Amino acid sequence: MFKVENLNKVYPNGTHALKDVTFDVQAGEFLVVIGLSGSGKSTMLRCLNRLHEPTTGRILFEGEDVTHVKGKTLRNVRSRIGMIFQHFNLIPRRTVLTNVLSGTLARTGVINSILGIYNEEDKKKAMDYIRIVGLEGKENVRADNLSGGQQQRVAIARALMQNPKVLLCDEPVASLDPATSHSVMQYLKKVNEELGVTIICNLHFLSLVRQYASRVIALKGGKLIYEGKPLDIDENWFKTIYGEEAVEVTID
Amino acid sequence: MDMSTTNENTTPDFLQDKGLTFKKVRANFWALFIDVFMWSYTILVSWKIIYEKIILGLRFPEFSWNQPLIALGAGAVVAIALHMTKLSIGRACMGLMKRDENKPIFREPFMAFGLVIIILTFIAGLFLSQVSIREFLSASGLIGAKRIFTALFNPNFNIIADATFAAVETIYMAFIATAFSLPFAFILAFFAARNLMSGSPLTMTIYSLVRFVLNVSRSIEPLVWAIIFSVWVGIGPFAGMLALMLHSVSSLSKLYSEQIENISEGPIEAMTATGAHPVQVIWYGVVPQIVLPYLSYTIYRWDINVRMATVIGLVGGGGIGTMLMQYQGLAKWNEVGLLVIVIAVIVWVMDYLSSQIREAIK
Repeated sequence: MFKVENLNKVYPNGTHALKDVTFDVQAGEFLVVIGLSGSGKSTMLRCLNRLHEPTTGRILFEGEDVTHVKGKTLRNVRSRIGMIFQHFNLIPRRTVLTNVLSGTLARTGVINSILGIYNEEDKKKAMDYIRIVGLEGKENVRADNLSGGQQQRVAIARALMQNPKVLLCDEPVASLDPATSHSVMQYLKKVNEELGVTIICNLHFLSLVRQYASRVIALKGGKLIYEGKPLDIDENWFKTIYGEEAVEVTID
Repeated sequence: MDMSTTNENTTPDFLQDKGLTFKKVRANFWALFIDVFMWSYTILVSWKIIYEKIILGLRFPEFSWNQPLIALGAGAVVAIALHMTKLSIGRACMGLMKRDENKPIFREPFMAFGLVIIILTFIAGLFLSQVSIREFLSASGLIGAKRIFTALFNPNFNIIADATFAAVETIYMAFIATAFSLPFAFILAFFAARNLMSGSPLTMTIYSLVRFVLNVSRSIEPLVWAIIFSVWVGIGPFAGMLALMLHSVSSLSKLYSEQIENISEGPIEAMTATGAHPVQVIWYGVVPQIVLPYLSYTIYRWDINVRMATVIGLVGGGGIGTMLMQYQGLAKWNEVGLLVIVIAVIVWVMDYLSSQIREAIK
């Protein structure tokens, strides 16, 4: 699905956020990225859909080199990659339905999208996804009036409207309470297993990692330092990844 | 994600030092500049106002350009001499002075010097604005005031039809000025928003240029624009409308662009990530965040424009202001009284309505 080779990212202020990161992502897997804040997880995810420009290295998406594509091609690549965010990033003051439909912008014409004209098929699909994420009846509620967990589910539905091959999740549960976190993770698992969408997800809680991930990679100071099964992360690895002082916090 | 939390510091040390030295030099320069200015000002004011006006009692002291130059020279000497002492306001302002944080700031010597400057300015102000209790309470003056107030409180209601018509003209003129300024301000605001324009040197140049033009046109009062336009298109509501419109464009652009600068990046990022076209990103990621604040600013602007239209009328911008001007010129105080009432009512109603509407759409 993704093939990342020697990826480096240096920010204009000189911060070297990613150092020679190389890894593969297989179709259908639930890959979790762990590491401290500032270890480069978000940067890496944003390099994959080119929200951030990689400095050197190569990114292959479905066999196609997407490292430097521009304009229409770039938008086409992005449209095949869904993304959800820590702070949900929904459009404020707009309804749930409008938010979900905004996932189709890449294939809706500019004029039509400004006038709010979507094709019937997409509208039906939007209603279906709203039902799937358990928000039936909330279609016409303003998105900013929903709770955090509900907003994140709207964001999932929006991403699914893109018919994505892969879903990038940037700490999707970091601003949610434990119970809601699990519900959101369950939906992601469902998307992964039932719709066959590959998931790449940044997470903080190892208990969630063990429960949901099929494979884990760990970043530290911008370097990839671990790659393996979630259950293989023992005490030693934990201390390597999070530092000697760290104590594991669980979420249940 | 916060990048500053990474342990490694990749900026070379010498670069940081260079930046630091530059900052320090700049701070010291401004500190000295402030000191020189303060001392020169003190010397000049003491000389011209305290010495010549008060001590010598001159009514019209002679002025020559040598005086400020001498003050500047003397000020520079004193400032440099006292720069390193606790009297230096410049070093205090630029944070270069080491002071005991536990000591109350008003006990510092530079605060005393600051107080002296404020007192000098106050005294100079009294003389320059020719404040005179005697004039205020003179017998002939009081009689004139009484005549005007009696007339104002006995407004002439015979001209109410004309006054109302002029008031309506003013409100419409303000509305058209606001409406015409809208599209210009809407487009200019995008070019004047730093966060949208910081992408490349070219866009930054456009940004600086637009900001500069807006700042210049805003710093010229609508009253002045009205004078210019009344020569251009002739005296009347059209000239007033153009003046108000120009000023509204620059004010609204600034308010709009600040609103754009304050929006959250989240929805923009999300829309970009869906593969949306840049136009769609703006329409879905930016517009929903700004449309209500824009509306609120625009209504407020209309309210301001109605008030300004009244003033602009005084220089021939049409509407109720021009009417006020004409009756005032003829010293018809009863008619002026009525106009003042009509203006007060419009301003009050507009103010009330606009605040109600702005509250409702928040």
